[in-house]
Amino acid sequence: MEKRKIKLSRRQFLQAAAAAGVLAGTGGAMAFVRQTPARAAAGEPELKYVRTTCSPNCTGACGMKAIVENGQIKAIVQAADYPEPEYNPRGCLKGLSMLNLIYGPDRLKKPLVRSGQPGKGEFKEASWQEALDYSAGRLKEIADKYGPESIGVIFQVGGTGYVHKGAVIALATLAGWSLHHPYDQNGDLPMFWPMTFGVQTEELEPLEWLNSRYVAVFGSNILATRLPDAHFLVEARNRGAKLVVFDPNYSPTAGKADEWVQINPSSDAAVGLGLARVIIEEKLYDEDFLKTYTDFPLLVRLDNGKRLKAEEVKGLSKPDGVPSYREVYVAYNRQFLSVHPEKLELPLDVVLEGELEVELKDGQKVSVKPGFQLLRESLKEYTPDKVEKLAGIPQDKLVRLAREMAAAKPLHLVYGASNYQWYHGDLKGRALALIPVLTGNIGKSGAGISTYAGQYRVRLKVAQWWVPQGKKQNWLPWLYVLHGPTKNMKANWPKHGLKALITGWGNPFDQHNMANKLRQMVEKGELEFVATMDFQMTTSCQYSDVVLPAVSWYEKTELVGSPVHPYLQLQQQAIKPLYEGKPELWIARELARRLNPEFEKHFFPDLDAEAAAEKAIELMLRTGGPSVEGITLEQLKKGPVRVKSEVPGNRQIPFYEQIAHKKPFPPVSIPAKIEQTAQFVKSGRIEFYKDEDLMLQLGEALPVHKPPFEESEYALDPTVRDKYKFSYITRNAIYRVHSTHSNNVWMNELQDGKPRVWLNPQDAEEKGIKEGDWVEVYNNRGSLHAFAVLDPGAGRNVAVFEQGWWSRYLNGESFNSLTYPFIKPTHEIYFVPGMWAPNTAWNECLCDVRKAGDTK
Amino acid sequence: MRLGMVIDLDRCIGCRSCAVACKAHNAQPPGTWWNRVFTPGSEEHQVAVGTNGHLQMNFLPVSCQMCDNAPCEKVCPAGATYTDERGVVLVDYERCIGCRYCIAACPYGVRQFNWEDPHQAKERVGYQEGYEYGYPGDYRDQDGRLVYTPNRPLGVVEKCTFCVQYTSKGEQPACVRACPSKARIFGDLDDPDSEVSRLIQERQAFRLKEELGTSPKVFYLPPTKPSR
Repeated sequence: MEKRKIKLSRRQFLQAAAAAGVLAGTGGAMAFVRQTPARAAAGEPELKYVRTTCSPNCTGACGMKAIVENGQIKAIVQAADYPEPEYNPRGCLKGLSMLNLIYGPDRLKKPLVRSGQPGKGEFKEASWQEALDYSAGRLKEIADKYGPESIGVIFQVGGTGYVHKGAVIALATLAGWSLHHPYDQNGDLPMFWPMTFGVQTEELEPLEWLNSRYVAVFGSNILATRLPDAHFLVEARNRGAKLVVFDPNYSPTAGKADEWVQINPSSDAAVGLGLARVIIEEKLYDEDFLKTYTDFPLLVRLDNGKRLKAEEVKGLSKPDGVPSYREVYVAYNRQFLSVHPEKLELPLDVVLEGELEVELKDGQKVSVKPGFQLLRESLKEYTPDKVEKLAGIPQDKLVRLAREMAAAKPLHLVYGASNYQWYHGDLKGRALALIPVLTGNIGKSGAGISTYAGQYRVRLKVAQWWVPQGKKQNWLPWLYVLHGPTKNMKANWPKHGLKALITGWGNPFDQHNMANKLRQMVEKGELEFVATMDFQMTTSCQYSDVVLPAVSWYEKTELVGSPVHPYLQLQQQAIKPLYEGKPELWIARELARRLNPEFEKHFFPDLDAEAAAEKAIELMLRTGGPSVEGITLEQLKKGPVRVKSEVPGNRQIPFYEQIAHKKPFPPVSIPAKIEQTAQFVKSGRIEFYKDEDLMLQLGEALPVHKPPFEESEYALDPTVRDKYKFSYITRNAIYRVHSTHSNNVWMNELQDGKPRVWLNPQDAEEKGIKEGDWVEVYNNRGSLHAFAVLDPGAGRNVAVFEQGWWSRYLNGESFNSLTYPFIKPTHEIYFVPGMWAPNTAWNECLCDVRKAGDTK
Repeated sequence: MRLGMVIDLDRCIGCRSCAVACKAHNAQPPGTWWNRVFTPGSEEHQVAVGTNGHLQMNFLPVSCQMCDNAPCEKVCPAGATYTDERGVVLVDYERCIGCRYCIAACPYGVRQFNWEDPHQAKERVGYQEGYEYGYPGDYRDQDGRLVYTPNRPLGVVEKCTFCVQYTSKGEQPACVRACPSKARIFGDLDDPDSEVSRLIQERQAFRLKEELGTSPKVFYLPPTKPSR
């Protein structure tokens, strides 16, 4: 046996030691044998392992190690260094094949300036100096002519890169440009969250799934969309939790479930309300919980549908010190009580049911009922019989599931994007939230309701880096750009509309609602200037005037902290930027200097990009608030650090403080201030009764089921009712993170390079479509071609397309050309960017399918 | 020592991360996959199997089954395919004459052939000039046989080696390290206390095409859900 003649770096030593079982559990490479055969190791390669974080828009935030030799990434392995072994290893097929993008043929090499007609994708190469001077010049001209707010900025998900995205946001803030919040832009904002709990979004960390006894999944395909966490679902089930998947389609997640409950598309609200009805009628609810934490004891006036305010009632008054964004309502326990909105301490003998008469200050007597009574009345119509008709779920099954859910504690509901990316997605969330709330499954380990899509919640206070000098930011929800302004909009519409676009980390010309409309805006010259930062030549680059070559996340220093994963992590530079690529902070700083020398000061002008990024990280850690208190850059360089929370062990359990310590709802949703979000739930409680005028007018004061298309497609064009009978659903595949990895050679080999549309075999037969046929999915707005997959698990009358394909794989078509920017009026009652804003409803889309002749 | 693998199909989520890790670490050229993940019963991956609401969907990763009684080894006229002292079936790239008898003999369809110069195949993808992926060193066994090289010659057969370049050092194979569901367990079948031996004993392990008498060292645990 001869000793290996290689030098060991500290990392390699740790790895070798772990392999030999010395440091079991630290290296992710446990020994499978105690004695390992050594061998003569002539010319063994010198490998360097760089710990970094994968951060595309899935927000999985998986710790990875790049294996680097001679400045090249040879392979990528999961870092597997999280203190809880359950989280190791974390990472999926896309992250492991990232090298195909880093070194792939679509990599941008030099800055490009458009040379042909807009949208034709013809460019000439330019120096950075030329490209930046030109961009800054055009942006100045446009700002002078139309106002800086006519320049829109797309930056996608903040938590996947606080430093570089923050730099672009800071530049937009300094320059007065409009920011498009990705959460509503991408249709990921589940509006029931602000409506019910007053927050942007919350979720249990996946490790907590193991503590559940019952997991009910509605419209979420965790086995495709949350690959690093999917195993927790299987483990929870194997530990005795019942796993039930409600979905129109049999998904891989359904394949792992104890029970798959097939329901009709967009009928989840009916299911939720039917379940809630059984729980209430059979008195399976947690009465004390409802009295303490919800708005159910609060009285509602029957004359106007509004909540009864303490200041209206004879003998009652508003207590002192109640903030202006709160309201003091009234409950009853043999006497009328002012309900303090910041104290969750109503006596437990307040009534939840019945009808009362109350004398107002002006002597008028009005009838009132507690919210719970109104809910109970409103749920009367959702009998098992009716729910069977609406949702297709057999009556006795519904009753059984309701009893099971009420009996199981902790109960966790997953409310997925397939469920809520509909026009009435908010109603579904409100209906389904009834189940964990009625049963007291909120704020506890393994309990609650979670979303796991979108993931825009930032984990620390970012204002010092993102918002220079506390300047006011302009936010413009993306739907208005496509739809045009509405008369009820609360956001500011730029006087001349959107005239220029700056994009990073996204591919709006493929991925966004009505991508074809965006393309036309470029082709017709309505958008006078588009600049895109990316490390690859995406479809969006093709529609740009200037393409600025950025870098992948293996080539820069960055801070990552996403909502779904409870760790704060660094991206550390594994390799130097390829070609002429530059990190976005550098690009933002160069643009800032050219726009106004004063702007540059914010971006650490004396430091190179990596050092400046470290400074920005230190700044955010120092000023980031309690969630990052005490966390240092040095700590992060050693490995992942758990974000702090108020929960023991820093676990991520939403509303823990509200329930355990009776703090009023909502908890803060960073970066919004509490007065912005507390106005959503003025009572300081979980609210199911919404008395805003529009909610009353639309009959949505309480959660109800509304059928799809009536207020959207059929209202827009009544003729489509008979024309288009299929729903067009765009779901995520395991092979892409939205459009990232669309050009990954290995991912495409795994799919035979074929975009596919999933159809029910019976539907296909009726249309004369066979497996593998080239079919067209179309409506009067657009069209898409793909290969048919006949799936016996697909529901009837749906065409399911796996989204994310770049246009070049779709004959130049955009799969988003079929969708429409419907704006639901209730989404305009308030405006807080990315928290209460009009939200894209991808799935609210009708289509038809036909055979398109021979395959392409 | 007899190295073997257990794949828990209950834990497998069908994500194909193992296939990708295998491909990257072993420098497999475009089109070559040593390790594949199927949805049994369906041509397409992740499509339900069954009718009338009686559906199921399970996943099956398949790579070299590392047979104790390996048909590929028997038919090799050049002695290129052999079983090493740890029970790992390997291909000596310097001895392989490219006759492909082994491909015909393998009942699992896991052997791949380099019809094209792997470098040319990679060039066609258009990677940055001079870029090569995969574990960058050659690996020769005790007798000097070349059983891993990132620079595979034209006209040789290749397949899973249980990541000989890593496992010879006591590290785990790439697929085992990469599985986010921890569905793969690797170890010594001769050691009754190893996790692989324990799982085979405790769970209803099965092997693929057991009836052929190939006696694989890859064992599968069935995708059963607990009944309640």
